[in-house]
Parts: sequence; C-alpha cells; structure tokens
Amino acid sequence: MKNETVERKYLPEMPRKEMDELRNTVKTASQKIIADNIEHMKKADPHRPEAMKYFDEMADLFGKRQKEIAAEKEKGKKVIGYLCLFAPTELIMAADAIPVRVNSGWYDTSKLGDRVVPVEVCPVIRSTIGAKMIELSPFLEQSDALISVLTCDGMTKLGEILGDTKIVWGMNIPRIKDSTQSLRFWNDEIKHMKTQIETFTGNKITRKNLKEAIETSHRATKAFRRLQELRKGNPVIMGRDAMLVNQAYTWDDKKRWTEKTEVLCDELEKRAQRKDWVCSPDTPRVMVTGTPMFWPDNWKLPTLVEEGNPQGIIVADEQCSGERILNDPIGVDEWSMDDMLNAMSERYLMASTCPCFTSKDGNEDRINWLLNKVKEWKIQGVIYYVVRGCMLYAMEYTRVKKALDKINVPVYYLDTEYTREDVGQMKTRVEAFLEMLNARIDI
Amino acid sequence: MLAGLGAAGVLAVLIWKRNLASRVTFLRFVIQLVAFAAIFYIFSYSAFIPMLYELIVLFALTIFLGRFFCGWLCPLGLILDVEILARRALKVRYRILPDKLNIILHKGRYLIALVFLLTPVILWLLDPQEIMVSPLMAQLLAGHYRPYGILLDPMIPFIVPWSNTATLNVAGVNLSYPYTQNIITFTGAEFGLIFAVAFVGATLVGGFLVRRVWCRFCPTGCSIASVNQFKGLGGVPLLHIDKDEEKCTKCGVCKRVCPLQVNEVYDQKGGKIKTSQCMLCARCVEMCPYEGTLKLKLGSKTVFKSRNWLDPSNSE
Repeated sequence: MKNETVERKYLPEMPRKEMDELRNTVKTASQKIIADNIEHMKKADPHRPEAMKYFDEMADLFGKRQKEIAAEKEKGKKVIGYLCLFAPTELIMAADAIPVRVNSGWYDTSKLGDRVVPVEVCPVIRSTIGAKMIELSPFLEQSDALISVLTCDGMTKLGEILGDTKIVWGMNIPRIKDSTQSLRFWNDEIKHMKTQIETFTGNKITRKNLKEAIETSHRATKAFRRLQELRKGNPVIMGRDAMLVNQAYTWDDKKRWTEKTEVLCDELEKRAQRKDWVCSPDTPRVMVTGTPMFWPDNWKLPTLVEEGNPQGIIVADEQCSGERILNDPIGVDEWSMDDMLNAMSERYLMASTCPCFTSKDGNEDRINWLLNKVKEWKIQGVIYYVVRGCMLYAMEYTRVKKALDKINVPVYYLDTEYTREDVGQMKTRVEAFLEMLNARIDI
Repeated sequence: MLAGLGAAGVLAVLIWKRNLASRVTFLRFVIQLVAFAAIFYIFSYSAFIPMLYELIVLFALTIFLGRFFCGWLCPLGLILDVEILARRALKVRYRILPDKLNIILHKGRYLIALVFLLTPVILWLLDPQEIMVSPLMAQLLAGHYRPYGILLDPMIPFIVPWSNTATLNVAGVNLSYPYTQNIITFTGAEFGLIFAVAFVGATLVGGFLVRRVWCRFCPTGCSIASVNQFKGLGGVPLLHIDKDEEKCTKCGVCKRVCPLQVNEVYDQKGGKIKTSQCMLCARCVEMCPYEGTLKLKLGSKTVFKSRNWLDPSNSE
C-alpha cells in the first residue's frame, strides 16, 4: 500500500463517511443482485447440477472467497491483482502469491467513475474506477499490487488512475503479435515482471515452482476444455452457468476450481446419458462475442437470451471474461527456465484473439477462431455484444460480420451500457433476433 | 542386443502411457535405435553393395515418405538427438539461429552437395592423367573420391570402425564419422586429418548448442528433398504435415518446438505444408495444443493428429 499522504493525481478525496455510506448501499444492492442472478439461474434449469452449488458460493464476491484470501494474507501471502488476461498468472502462482482479476462489473459504480473520466470512456473502466473510489471491490482492495497490461486505451489509463492508491506495474504489450521483435520485447517484459514479482513477494521463482504453476494451469485448461466439449452436444448446462464457472477461475483457488469443474463435468456427462437436456434441443444455439461481461451486474444479456421468449441457449462465447481465460495452454518444450518463460510469453501474446492486436493479415486469428467455433459448436446465431466506448470490439464488427455472412450465420450487433434502464429495449431486440433464428431453423 | 531392444520396448510403453506430449518423440527414438541397429548390421558385412542398395531404397522411399529418413531413421540424426537429450538433462538452453542464416544454410546445402559431387569430375577434367583413362562414370562410382558416398555418409557414424570405407584414424583409434573420409580425400593428406577432426568437433559442439544443426544443410537431406521438388509431382511426398487454418490460433508453439526452426508450419495458411526443410519428425504435431489442427498425413489418410495433450507432462 502506498503512503496515504501522497497526492492523488486522479482520484478525488472523498470524506470517509460518504465513502462508507456509498459502499454499504452499493454492496447491499450488489449482494441482492448476486442472489437474484443465482435465483434466476436456478429457476431456468430445474435439474441444475449439484456441483454448481460450489460455484454459487464462489460467485458471492463478498462471501467465502474474500474471507479465504484475507486469511491467506494474514499468513503472509501476497495478493497480486491483474486487469487484463495478459498478466502472467503462472508467475504469480510460482511466487506463492494469489492472482485475482480485479475488473469490475458493477453498474452503480460506473456512475461514480464519471466524476473522474468522461462518460465516453468504456464503462468497464469507469466502473472499476468507481469501485476503487468507494473501496467496494473486495479483490481490488485486497491486492497488494496490480499488474496492468496496456492493451486497450482504457486499460492503459486505468492502471495510471489506480496507481493513486496502489502499486501498479505496467506491462507494455506489443500490438503486432506475429513479429519476432514484438515477441522478443514481450519476452523481456515477462522476464522483468518475474524479477519484480520476486522482489515484491520475497519468494524466488524457481524452475520447479514455475513448472508446478504451469502444470496447475494445464490441469485447469484440461477441465475447462472438457466442459466446453460437453457444450458441443445437446445442451446439458445453461450458458450462464458455464460462463460463471469460467469466470470464477479468475478469483478462485486454481486447484480447487479444477477439481470442482471436473466434478461438474462428471455430473454433466451422466446428465447427457440420461438425455436430460436443459431446454429443447431445437433451441437456437447462440454464441456471444465482444466486450467482456463481468459478474455480478453485467449479466443482463445472458439472462435475456436464456429467459427470453423464444428461448435461446448460449453454447459458446469468445470473450476475455469467458472462454479466452483458459483456452490456450502453455506449450513448454524443454522445461528449462528460459524455455518456460519463452513459452509463457508466446502463449500470452500470440495465442490471444483480443482485438487490441493486429498482425500481417490483420487480426485474422480471431476471425478464424470464430469461424471454427461456429462450426464446432454448431452455432446458429452470433450476438456481437459491445458496450459503448469499447472501440476495438466495435471497429472489428464489420470484418466479423463479413466473414460470418459468407458462411450464412446471422450476426446481431448489440450495443449497450452499464445500466439497467435499457433492459426492456434490449429484451425486444434479443427476442426479435431469437425469433428470426427460430424461423431459420424451421426452414 | 535382444534384451536391450526388449528393455527399450518396455521403457517406450511406460513412457507412452505416462506422457501424451512426448509420445511421438519417444516412438521416434525407438525407431531410430532400431534403424541404427539395422544399418549397423548391413554395414558390418561389406561396404559397397549394401551402400548402393541403400541408396536405391532411400530414393524410392523418398517419393512416398519425403524426408522421413532424416527424422526417423538417420543414425547421425540419432546422435544429434542424443545430444539434445544430454543438453536437456544439463538444463542448458539451446541457441537459435537467426532465420536469415537458417535459410542461407538451407539453400547452401545444394552448393555443398554440388561441390562434393562435382569436384572429382572437375579434377579429372583439369588433369585427366591423374587417374589414367577411367571413364567419367567409373570415376564417379568407383573412383578414388567416391562422391556418392556423401549421400550415404550420415549412416555411418561410429558404426563401422573397422571398415575402411570411412575411417578416421585418430591416435591409432579408428573412428567412423560422416564426411570425414570425404574431407580427408578432398583436402589431401596433410590437412585432411586436421580438417576432419575440426569438422567432427564442430558438428558435435554445434549439435549440442543448436538443435539438429547439421540437418539444416545436410547434403543427403538435400538429395532427398530434391526428389520432391520436381514440378508436376505435387502429390509427393505422400507423407506430409497438414494444417487446418481455422482451428489454428497462431500460438506459435509449432514454430518454437521445431528442431529445425521451420517457419512454414506457422506461416502457411492451411493445407499441405510445402517445405523441404521439414524432416517430418512430427514434434509440432505432437505439441500443437488444438485438437486436429496439425496432422501428419500419408496421402489423404491421417496417421497422427494433434490432440489435447494437457495432462501435465513429467518429461525432462
């Protein structure tokens, strides 16, 4: 924690009392929303898997996991938060610290963020700033240091703003991902981050530790892929449930998460044998791509899709709050320190399909990956979800649409805000899209 | 020897079961060992006739299998692979040659092969008296220089120390090492030995630091590859690596794990990988983390494809 007397460059000084009041109001509201969301998820699927209970527990951001981290912190462990998926979590794990993702999904705090940055800025950023202002987000408050990867414009400045009260380490990610010089540069960044984490935590990252950490994330990826594989067939799990499971990885204990996901997969396999589908197999299969959707508040789109009339089912997503978290494993060749670091930098830079990148042929990896997903998961319609201010995703829409038009899969551009006011209007739009998908299936 | 083979088999099965990510590499090792033994057996009889047979078999195989020989059978390749294992055990990081140099070496191998093959002819043209009146063909085949030998040389490392076809005599010990005999005959007796020893040292040290360094410009590899480069023979080699562009996220694993630093697997947009640099060791296929993205194909049939290898690997 930085010295409090240091002058804040961005964040306004708020009286303690006002801050506490605001926090309590938002926290109570948020707890209610979490419970409400889970209630909705339970209702949508009458035979919801037993294993989801664990993830419901984890989903309560102010509940069990927060207390666990607090207990670990008391034992002397450090918590290192990160803002983008490009932060090398394996290094954090290898240094015996806890990695948590601190992006925020609270609608209410985005209004507070307006006091610091203009309204045009992406609401994810504004909401995170707001959460910091009233010290709402438990993980953000608990983290001793933050890794901010300079991906999109918002993230670049967000790191700076949060630097008012936290130690923030910037990582400069090259925007061209398939050139050797970018890779060399990024590799140096990762090496630098390693020394930084080592000095901060006081634990040396040894070859053995790092190998163990990489293997932990391999196991997690394996469990994740098993879950994705199950979603390829007739629906056995609601899309929201799977999205929550994926997102829980970013704050949960990685080993426990893997175990529980495997249990969930076992249960789902049995369910598939019983042919006990969550909804009729004719339900339009929808993929969501675009801006990340953070738990708990920003859950309106999946809820609308899966509780709409006609109903849709989300079987895949391409978001950094969802499947991109765990999709790519670290392909280590020789398990020497250098090779592991090289493999890590390649996995984080080259395998990612974030639109903040470009390459020789533009961001073609993302297009290819989307096309592959559409094929493999038998997607019937794609919802391109963008929050206002998310430039990169919005700009790449045209290209995605052209590519998907070629294989005759409808795409729907849905832009929204961090607000509950447009739910009614969104409902109409989503239902119209689902109606259209239904009509296509009938033909 | 049988017991040794049996032990190798058991070991291979154990590793096979334990480790998904290096299955093919271990299978490859076993095949390399078996090939080593087989070639040892052939060469321990006589030199000339089996060499010619080998040459014919090799070139015939090339049409179907491409540079399969280089990756899976070549004894020199085995030595270089053992060096890789030793380096891994010592936890030394390999060096990477710059892409440009790699390509220059790759193109330069034709030059090396040509120099070896044509030197006797040129020498004979310059000074026909040296070897009486032997016709050109006989000069090439049975002459003093044995230029065809360079196409077979990778097969004789440390195998036939007693044979006089390729012997390097160092301090009274006969060693056989690829190309050394050629170097000695080509450079002449005075410098020959020094050059030969330097060559052996350079390949061994180079092979330790850079993965499969010799294979990047091996004249044998070049001769094998040249068969595949005739126009109109688009179908050959039947054995090839195939890429599914849509499933690829360009994570770069294939590029990094390749012992020959072949870039084409990464760069090419799907389809059959067209490069004579690749020796089909299938390391990229084995390490590719996306199921079915890379495939080793024989004709249109898939021999082996990339899988979900995510069981933590214990290989060192």
